[in-house]
Amino acid sequence: MTGRGFAGTILRVDLTGREITREPLDRVMAERYIGGLGLCIKLCHDAMKPGCDALSPENPIVLGAGPFVGTNLPSTSRVYSVSKLPSSGAIGWCGAGGFTFGAMLKNAGFDHIIIEGRSERPVYLRIFDDQVELVDAAHLWGRSVEETCAGVWDTYGFPTGVLCIGQAGENQVPFSMAFIDRISTLGRGGFGAVMGSKNLKAVVVKGSGGVGVADRKRYKLIGQRFLERIRAWPHLQEAQEAGMTQAFPFVPREEYSRLKKRRAACVSCPIGCKDIVEIPDGPFRGLIKCTSSVINLYTPVLYGFKDYRESIKLMATIDGFGLDMFEFFGIMALAGKLADRGIIPGAVADPEIRLDSLDSMEAWARKISLREGLGDVLAGGFQGIIEEYGDSAKELAPALVKGMHPYAGPGSAFAWDRFGTMELGQVLDPRGPHVGSGGSPTYFALRPLDIFPKHLERMGVPRDAIDRIMGAGYEPEHKDDLKVGALLRYSHAWFVILGSMGICARGQINRFYNAETCAQLYEAVTGIPTDLPALRERVDRVWALYRMANIREGLVPQKDEVAPEQWFGKGGFKVYLTGEPLERSDTERMIKDYYNEWGWDPETGVPPRHELARLGLIGPEFREL
Amino acid sequence: MAKYRIDVATERCSGCLRCELGCSDAHTKVFNPSAARIQVTMTGSDCQVRFTEDCIACGICADQCFYGALSKTKQEEDDQ
Repeated sequence: MTGRGFAGTILRVDLTGREITREPLDRVMAERYIGGLGLCIKLCHDAMKPGCDALSPENPIVLGAGPFVGTNLPSTSRVYSVSKLPSSGAIGWCGAGGFTFGAMLKNAGFDHIIIEGRSERPVYLRIFDDQVELVDAAHLWGRSVEETCAGVWDTYGFPTGVLCIGQAGENQVPFSMAFIDRISTLGRGGFGAVMGSKNLKAVVVKGSGGVGVADRKRYKLIGQRFLERIRAWPHLQEAQEAGMTQAFPFVPREEYSRLKKRRAACVSCPIGCKDIVEIPDGPFRGLIKCTSSVINLYTPVLYGFKDYRESIKLMATIDGFGLDMFEFFGIMALAGKLADRGIIPGAVADPEIRLDSLDSMEAWARKISLREGLGDVLAGGFQGIIEEYGDSAKELAPALVKGMHPYAGPGSAFAWDRFGTMELGQVLDPRGPHVGSGGSPTYFALRPLDIFPKHLERMGVPRDAIDRIMGAGYEPEHKDDLKVGALLRYSHAWFVILGSMGICARGQINRFYNAETCAQLYEAVTGIPTDLPALRERVDRVWALYRMANIREGLVPQKDEVAPEQWFGKGGFKVYLTGEPLERSDTERMIKDYYNEWGWDPETGVPPRHELARLGLIGPEFREL
Repeated sequence: MAKYRIDVATERCSGCLRCELGCSDAHTKVFNPSAARIQVTMTGSDCQVRFTEDCIACGICADQCFYGALSKTKQEEDDQ
């Protein structure tokens, strides 16, 4: 398959036995699961020992980059990992802007890496074209994400791709993440801890083999149209200058213009929404921070920080340790309440837990990441705190979904209240709450309804489904009929297309893609015959396998896919279109709609046998489903 | 024979490597940053851009740049 989008090889690394092997990527399997995200799910399903613990050697890490990664199609650098995650216990996908990592992986000749077992001592995996080695990482262990990346680049130079963890991952904190090239985050739910449990500090990759496409003429024809459309987009310059602050306007423009040092882009991206900022004055003057988005650096402001410079300093610390900021603040808020009530004794809660204090939050980020004192309890996440402090902690805990703190909703970082697909998706993705829309138009609150059909057509939603989603012909008098659950089904499907091919899901760029063109491009890049109906079937297969693999691991949709009580009533979510208070019956109907639209049992959320048969998910390799 | 003068504004470079991808595709028929005749390097938070000896100033790198970091100017016959 070499020279046709796919590099053609899967790298398998057994950390226990220090064995490194290569397997040809099976063309039929690639076709059935598309690539990237879809193939990661399939390979993880196959490699995982059913019922294993997330932090055990039996839990594989499957990394991958889709067939478009490494080409110059716009914003095609995405990297995915799939493994069991400790926070939710689910098999979960994690995705990141690949920066150079994804393109380098493909140039080194690999589409996927399967990492199994556990190393006796800290190592990093070094992939330089065909030279693949496990290298002693004693000198990197105990170092931050920033320090680790700097150390790797000092040794190997740019554009070496670096996927690494900080101290929180090393110490298996279940809300630790990995970072790619120090900028992109990979792994709400504890992917960092999974790497740490394997004594795997980093994956370092550089390649020079090139990425080819099957039909250059057709590729260029379609690709050129894309580039022309992007160049002609009247908001291009604005998007490049404002980045994600357009979508989240709580970052003051004036402050941002003083902070912004340079915009950074993942490989092949013409928009460039990553930020490199420099604190312009004050005690932290000159501190440079690279981030997935400047809005992340303002998260502490949402929790009470008054000085944005202190906010950036704290985020540099949190990111350096490799902690998930949403979970960190949720846990610190709970710990603060427990300390205020004396449930956590004052002598233990030292320093005082103050969510608006840089000194306090930096100290607690450190204590958690290094598991010092009370930090070791807090490092257990919400479940660990509830186990330690019992019912008191349970009563004071925020809304939890699959054991994790939703990033949006009452009491969460982003306190917007309209209930769209991204909000419902926190319940219906097996991995649990994460930030991601899949390109659904409800990503932005209160968008006019008449723009929805155009977006849905672009996402590949069949005509009859658009009618179901929009209710009775989306006339103004029926505007409360928007079916968020049905819409989420197609939002997830669109996300599978993007993720499996390697396209960024962020709204600024995915607006230029549509499902029909994705199918044509896939055919041009890979040479695999593909039209939209065929692509839809492959998407159905990927998401059904994702669900069935999680059901195998203990997911019970009727029990686990339930909206938390805090989402209803005073201060709760509102119906997306009408602004009426959201009721449990609303979410129950949405969840049924979601299952139904996938062709799954609307009561149990389980794909029926005839659907699994249609998708070829019955047979010896799926015997345990 | 050079066809264009390529001007570089490194402060506008985003590190997207579209220039390297376009260049390598044009001259080697595959997307391969290491084979490109323009090389972008990031040190710390700064980008550097250089051209290899093989560069023929065809201008494809500038065509691929969306950030204004590379621009091309057609050279007159007597400038070539």
